[in-house]
Amino acid sequence: MSADHTRSRAWPVGVGGVLTALASSVLLLFLLVPIGAVVGRGTSDGLAHLAHDTELRQALGLTALTATVATLLGVALGTPLAWLLARRAFPGRAIVAGALDLPIVIPHPVAGIALLLVLGRDSAIGHLLAAVGLRVVSAPLGIVLAMLFVSASLYVSAAREAFARVNRRYESVAQTLGDTPLRAFRRVTLPLAGRGLLAAAVVMWARAVSEFGAIVILVHAPRTVSVLSYDRFTTYGLSEAMPVAAVLVLAALIPLIALRALRADSVWQGRGHDA
Amino acid sequence: MIAVTGLTTAMGDFVLRDVTFAVPAGAYGVVIGPAGSGKTTLLETIAGVVPAAAGRVLVSGRDVTRAPVNGRGVGLVYQHAYLFPHLSVRANVAYGTNDPELVRELMARLGVDALAARDVRSLSGGERQLVALARALAHKPGVLLLDEPFSALDPKRRSLTRRYVRDLHRTWGMTVLQVTHDFAEAGLLGDVAVLLDSGRVLQAGPATAVFRRPASPYIAEFLGAENVLEGVARVSDGDRPEHSRGGARAMEVVCGPLTVHAVSDSDPGPCHAVIRAEEVVLSRAEQSTSARNHFEGEVTEVASYGAYARVTVTVQGVPLVALLTIPSLHDLEVVPGAQVHVSFKAFAVHLC
Repeated sequence: MSADHTRSRAWPVGVGGVLTALASSVLLLFLLVPIGAVVGRGTSDGLAHLAHDTELRQALGLTALTATVATLLGVALGTPLAWLLARRAFPGRAIVAGALDLPIVIPHPVAGIALLLVLGRDSAIGHLLAAVGLRVVSAPLGIVLAMLFVSASLYVSAAREAFARVNRRYESVAQTLGDTPLRAFRRVTLPLAGRGLLAAAVVMWARAVSEFGAIVILVHAPRTVSVLSYDRFTTYGLSEAMPVAAVLVLAALIPLIALRALRADSVWQGRGHDA
Repeated sequence: MIAVTGLTTAMGDFVLRDVTFAVPAGAYGVVIGPAGSGKTTLLETIAGVVPAAAGRVLVSGRDVTRAPVNGRGVGLVYQHAYLFPHLSVRANVAYGTNDPELVRELMARLGVDALAARDVRSLSGGERQLVALARALAHKPGVLLLDEPFSALDPKRRSLTRRYVRDLHRTWGMTVLQVTHDFAEAGLLGDVAVLLDSGRVLQAGPATAVFRRPASPYIAEFLGAENVLEGVARVSDGDRPEHSRGGARAMEVVCGPLTVHAVSDSDPGPCHAVIRAEEVVLSRAEQSTSARNHFEGEVTEVASYGAYARVTVTVQGVPLVALLTIPSLHDLEVVPGAQVHVSFKAFAVHLC
């Protein structure tokens, strides 16, 4: 395909152009207006609530902490898997890659039920965890595991792409210069894939922060911000839920903005990579 | 030394099959072949980057067929350099060594010392190749594999770099195997030549033998032999057993209207007569010389290539090509339409 076929072209004109603009605008408005309404109407109240609403502050702290722990676990356990999927051919690779999509496509309350089934008090693993003093149900550990379950796949998929973008000949050259495969990974692959991995972790963190369905099945209390916003809505109505929802949206926006900044500043990924 | 025996490697649909050749210790080998013939795959298999499916690779007398890449003592320079984009030029060159003095010297000798602090992504293709070469040399490998390492250099820099690599190869006693498309470069550098096509070795051996005595008309034409005439060989009437020298004897090859005299150990029968253009002598008048082959023809084309010219003379409908220096071309007043005499020795004719 020539460069002309891939290059962005001028704004489309005619009937097709009008239809394209109309369809795009409708979808963008549908996605952005509700979020804008929550942010617009709830941000000042939400920030004010943060000053005196202890429950909201605690929920925000708990959400940030559990999402961070879940992300660190996802990075530690998911990076080797992402590397394997990007770099090694092994029997069943396609099945493994497909299985990673399951936590994304199943309804999240179902994910919570599944986790409850495997990690709940009545399960074998639940008993085992209880024996060493670890509780999953109605405990922060449950929140971490629910977040990990629903968001780790996003990290692995994005990290896999980050590794795949690094030409393996860089690693080959490093090894001809005396590096072991592990040393070449540390000195070459990791720095080159680093920004992609960081972006993948940010996406995972943002997804973990916004998780509700799986968490609420496993852990109703202590409450994350998403669970708190639902509680406030069902108990007190829209006006009380709005400030909490606005805080949640802002919490999700921060990593998104960070991600955009990373991509805008991307030096080693994509077009500027090979040298 | 590099010794490859029955090497077979599969890369997707492409297969490098049953490759066998050897480059003695301290020798300079060249790999020649058309695009897609498997040259890069061959180097990568020797380096261990691509696993061998069958066969053996010996490097410096040691079987490294199953050895890891970093345990082979083999350096590899790709045509596209693959400089580490997150490191500066100096950091790239110093990647595999702890000897800053060697890094400094190599960068100076290869003319990239002024680029030391530069971001490698800002370098030109030629500069990248020089930095990649310096990086590989700084590791001081016993065996160096070069995949068209000079292809992006300007002619002057290419000549200087080629000479420097040849000097280091002699000084360090390094065995080198270089892929090139440039037959002049192959002839200048190579002690051993390996000709690859479609994943197979067509011919391998001393470079002079491969270039002077190609094993088939395809190889002859691929290596740039200008005159490849199809014909039928027979032993010359005047040949007597006592005239044979090491199995070679006087032969005649009937190539259509031309009968070409040769000295060869080939069997009589269908064959091709290969005469390199630089062996063909032109004159305006018939001359009495020891050359057995004399023809008269008309100049049909003169193509100038700077210091020399490629002259096509048509003899009884058969084109013969000669290479002349530009002064010779002017002295002889060789122009299209001129009648000239063509001669070459029987020893200049190779039968295959």
